[in-house]
Amino acid sequence: MSSSPSSTPVASAPGRAPAAILRLPRWLPAPAATCALLLAVPWIEPYLANTIASWLIAGLLGLSLALVWGQMGFLSLGQTALYGLGGYAGSVLAINLAPGLGNPLLLAAPFGALVGALAAAGIGWVVFYGRLGQLQGTILTYTCTLILWTASVSLNAGIGRARVGGDNGMSDIPGFVAGLGLDAPPMTPNQTLACVLVVCALVYLGCRWLMASSFGRVVQGIRHSAEKTELLGYDTRRFQLVLFAVSGAIAGLAGTLYAAWGAYISPSIFSAQEALLVPIYVLAGGIGSLAGAFLGAVLVGALSFWLGGGAAGGQATLILGLCLIALVLFAPRGLAGMAGSIARGLARQRMPSAVNASALQHASVNAEGLARIASAGPPRGRVAFDATALIKRFGGIVPVNAVSRSFAEGRAAALIGPNGAGKSSFLRCCSGQYRLDGGTITIDGRDVTRWPLFRRVQAGAGIKTQAPLVYAELSVHENLWIAAHRVARDARQAAVAADEALAAMGLQAVARLPAGSLPHGGRQWLDIAMVLIQRPRIVFLDEPAAGMSGEERRALARLLATLGSTLAVVVVEHDMEFVKQLGGHVSVLHQGQLFAEGSIDALRADERVLDIYLGRNAHVQAH
Amino acid sequence: MTLIDFSHAPSVRDARRTRRTSLLHGLLLAACCALMPAAANAADPVKVGSIFDLTGGLNIYGLQQSRALRLAVDDINAQGGLLGRTVEVVQADAQSELNKYPQYANTMVMRDRVAALFGGLTSSAREAVRPVARRSNTLYFYSSLYEGGVCDSHTFLTGPSASQQLSVLIRWAVQRYGKRIYVMAADYNFGTISAAWVREYARQAGAEVVGVEFLPLTVTDYSSTIQKIEAARPSFVFALPVGANQTGFMEQFAAAGLGQRMGIVSTNFGSGNQQIVVSPQATAGVVVSLPYFEWIDNPQNKAFRSAWRQAYGEKEPIVEAAVDVWNAAQLWAAAVRKAGAFDTAKVRAALESGLELKAPNGPVALVPRSHHLRQSMYIAQGNAQRGFDLVAHIPDVEPVYENERCDLLKQPAQATQFTPAGT
Amino acid sequence: MDWNYLLQALVLALTSAAILLIATLGLGVVFGLMGVVNLAHGEFIMFGAYTALTATQHGVPFWLACVLAAAFTGVFGAAVERLLIARLYGRLLDTMLVTWGIGLVMYQCAVLLFGTVTPGIGMPLGSVRIGGGVVSSYLLVLVVIAAGLSVALYLLLTRTGYGVLARAVVQDRTTAAALGIDARRLSCITFAIGSASAGLAGAVLLPVIPAAPNMGFALAIKGFLAVVAAGPAIVSGTVLSVLSLGSGSAMVASYGSRVLGDLLFFGATLLLLCRFPLGVTQGWRLKL
Repeated sequence: MSSSPSSTPVASAPGRAPAAILRLPRWLPAPAATCALLLAVPWIEPYLANTIASWLIAGLLGLSLALVWGQMGFLSLGQTALYGLGGYAGSVLAINLAPGLGNPLLLAAPFGALVGALAAAGIGWVVFYGRLGQLQGTILTYTCTLILWTASVSLNAGIGRARVGGDNGMSDIPGFVAGLGLDAPPMTPNQTLACVLVVCALVYLGCRWLMASSFGRVVQGIRHSAEKTELLGYDTRRFQLVLFAVSGAIAGLAGTLYAAWGAYISPSIFSAQEALLVPIYVLAGGIGSLAGAFLGAVLVGALSFWLGGGAAGGQATLILGLCLIALVLFAPRGLAGMAGSIARGLARQRMPSAVNASALQHASVNAEGLARIASAGPPRGRVAFDATALIKRFGGIVPVNAVSRSFAEGRAAALIGPNGAGKSSFLRCCSGQYRLDGGTITIDGRDVTRWPLFRRVQAGAGIKTQAPLVYAELSVHENLWIAAHRVARDARQAAVAADEALAAMGLQAVARLPAGSLPHGGRQWLDIAMVLIQRPRIVFLDEPAAGMSGEERRALARLLATLGSTLAVVVVEHDMEFVKQLGGHVSVLHQGQLFAEGSIDALRADERVLDIYLGRNAHVQAH
Repeated sequence: MTLIDFSHAPSVRDARRTRRTSLLHGLLLAACCALMPAAANAADPVKVGSIFDLTGGLNIYGLQQSRALRLAVDDINAQGGLLGRTVEVVQADAQSELNKYPQYANTMVMRDRVAALFGGLTSSAREAVRPVARRSNTLYFYSSLYEGGVCDSHTFLTGPSASQQLSVLIRWAVQRYGKRIYVMAADYNFGTISAAWVREYARQAGAEVVGVEFLPLTVTDYSSTIQKIEAARPSFVFALPVGANQTGFMEQFAAAGLGQRMGIVSTNFGSGNQQIVVSPQATAGVVVSLPYFEWIDNPQNKAFRSAWRQAYGEKEPIVEAAVDVWNAAQLWAAAVRKAGAFDTAKVRAALESGLELKAPNGPVALVPRSHHLRQSMYIAQGNAQRGFDLVAHIPDVEPVYENERCDLLKQPAQATQFTPAGT
Repeated sequence: MDWNYLLQALVLALTSAAILLIATLGLGVVFGLMGVVNLAHGEFIMFGAYTALTATQHGVPFWLACVLAAAFTGVFGAAVERLLIARLYGRLLDTMLVTWGIGLVMYQCAVLLFGTVTPGIGMPLGSVRIGGGVVSSYLLVLVVIAAGLSVALYLLLTRTGYGVLARAVVQDRTTAAALGIDARRLSCITFAIGSASAGLAGAVLLPVIPAAPNMGFALAIKGFLAVVAAGPAIVSGTVLSVLSLGSGSAMVASYGSRVLGDLLFFGATLLLLCRFPLGVTQGWRLKL
């Protein structure tokens, strides 16, 4: 079956006739639903309105976790710590301002958010800049919650007019007030609900906007593959820290609202039981969804309310525990995700990549186009990369044993050698993926030996890893966009660059498909394109031709040879034909050391090189 | 095919997410519609709210407290109700979880429009309910032993305050055992404030506190505490461990043989079922001061006990918190009759006019200015049969500290908790 | 300088560390061999304690009750692993959440079945004078038990066939599978060993810590922190971190206050994690 690559993204979404009658902006559902809910508020019973307000505030707390966990991939068990800190801070301020100010909550709420953000930034600095493992980071956040729990029970201190009463908590916190003057009346429960609803909607929309912005798109990249994002030159730690601080601000805001709602806050807010509820909210609503946190909180609150009213007595917590287990085992994407799966199953949609398989087969790469993209922009001048006496050890094994090499633009450089020679290891030492045990590396005279990976990439190094590393679940276009965005002026320019790269690779048809549905060769090209779109000054490629067809190899060799004249190109390869087509300078590595250098033809005739490849002992003593 | 197409998203995932989001919004909307209220209807019986820990870690107390309230309400109804209306109890189970208290309190004042709230065991529960009672102008009765000092126009406290219990206990113990005291208490408000009172009454009795230790609520291993007590060589130990681990301290104290060399006194041992749970060797000799013990001999207690046994059986001891609740309910009923109305301001005025009651633990009187009770204190010593022997009875113990600091007659708008200096 | 007091404090620090070590070794084994942080570990300890308590209340001698407790808890742990945790292979955070839920359910069941305060059993074996003060001999026995348990687990992991296979699976699951090693069965056994160890801990600690539904909570929290700070060396890392953190915090408790001791424990763990992101033993050659 053959067909020409089809064009528009809408047509590529399968199984649906293009009969859209009304196109509305994506951001409309949330405000519309909020307005509808607001209209319903006056008709709700006051005590229910009061209870629902507390559910929504819990939903806000859940939203803070959904932001870091669902969008960034970091399970923080310290959200209640930030919630409580913000709540205490905001309440202390509110109590102190109450005599002079009619509506202290207006100032207390931002203050609580600020305290939450600062605390999150502190914790985040330790976790992200300290490069803690995933599990260690989670346990660390849990530790913070526990420390606060222990300390707050014993802390009995007066701060101005407020009294942090240790285990008794802090009572008589000023609440929601309708108006600004000193004689403004307190809000009725229904007014409080409306107010909380509006705040939640605004925060939710803010989060949606944040995740749709450039910042949010890079964060999504970090979630899918933090390693790849760093290889693209992004300082992932900074993105993670900022997002965690935003999450802390939301949690702190929620805490202040909660304290104002109940007029009371106590150390039990830091307890393990409270900390448990937050992941349940997120899981119930669906970990990938921001609005799901609100749904989860409302569901859990309603369940607890109904059960606690005598229906199951003290078994409410028991049932919640069972629900958590069930959710994790059977509905990891939450109830909303389950509903979505059922709906998709009912609609019987076909796999998108199956529909477009033919399009993939006929994609053809325009090497000149890619070269143009890589060389675009102002001329870069000379690049000098010097590696001096690099040493890398793994316990007793020394894959890189005092190797020195320099790379510059002009001719591509190839590294060859038998298995275990240390070619990939040397490449990784040069690129920054391995920390050196000895030796120095300079780029243009600057010592970059101690620079972290992303900084080297920002200095102009492009790295194509051995196995193609792409964001498998993001679309092909999005992959290229994230790569292009680092060097582009804005999101629009990055999109244009991504479109150009797509055209050069002939992948327009599959632009909206997940990158993981590409065949291996396609992913290799995508990875190469992502490296080149950043206009690097020196490119390290580890076996780039693996998995490609003969024609593709020739195209790649042509591309690299062309690029070699403007950038420094360093390739590790096994395929001798490919190395010959590259036409560059070849170095042979053997047992971690530089063995021979020259052109491929000279090396082919060298008996010593043949020895080490064939395992003969004729001219070279084997160890 | 959809009529409204939101799916011009940059990726397939986004399209799925948006559809899921619309689904969520719809669900939320539907949920809210389902919560439309039924028409309100006026009720003939007058309701009182009951929020106690019927399940969970504190249910030993909570269950008995709520039973006592029911018993009191049945007693009131048997006498013809209040102002011609029967009294009905709206009950909620706080499940030993603090965040349930404000939730149920709000529900009861808004939905059930209760005339009075009874509830809470721990001080934190009380502090959570107090602001709700104030905001909704509802009377609140807190009936449990606690650290003392609360001064709030809408709150009435019928349990003993720490200073009440300790004033008699320390005086008695210094006379009986000697002048060196070691204090061991849980590290939170109740513990630290009680310890401060021990210091104060020790000073008044000419005794000396030779050591103080505060333990976190989660601690289970008391060996270092035992070690410090031995090193200090006190005449008696004031022990206030709190939580499921309090039995551990008593056991380890007895196992170290310390009970032979020094006295041990407490203000919360025996307030629940501790004496049954701890081994007889560890119970024997512990001295406690509480406002109520089951073995008190007076006609009111006889009647109360038989009514309780008839309603609830023989099995569990009647804890002092239960009697505190009974007293609270009876005082409220008396105030309503005196005021001739259920209105909060009128009932409060009646309560503050000086009410007295012949309670199971002897005569009690509500002190108008402090909202606390003047009541008897009993000192008892644990015996080897897991019970207590009454040793002393001190009638009409005033809540001196509360009376001194808190004057709600002159300053009715107060809402605070006074604590002794240094805490 | 009160030498007697210091001596007593040191002995008590050792016994406190021993108590924590007994409670934590099982957690370390499970974490090291399966990568799973069993947040229900405290509740498994409680399970063992209640089993032993019920057995002694029916006249079974104490030492036999401890063995029974270990066995029952081990079987229970194997069942939990088979039914729930085996489905979550590779999903570490999800496993953590599920074990959290299991712990909560077990806690509530215990409250329903046993109530909230339960009778203690007296401390057997009398007491011993050390440095002018009295220390219960049973605490010293606990030190011996802790040492014995560490050695037993070390031998189990290095000298037995099971131990070698289990460590192989940790190193490289795919290769192990290619060699015909049944990783699922091994995981089940590992989790059972961890649970049995927890059950034994609950039973053995019964004279010191009376059985209550929340008895394992405080121990478990310190256990998690110690295990995560310990790093990949399973037995030696756990022993090292528990001994140092546990006895350090106990010394502070003896001379200062308990709250300070606890805060020191948490704070030290924080600092250790900052300095050694993957655990204290992350760079060690000795892998066990």
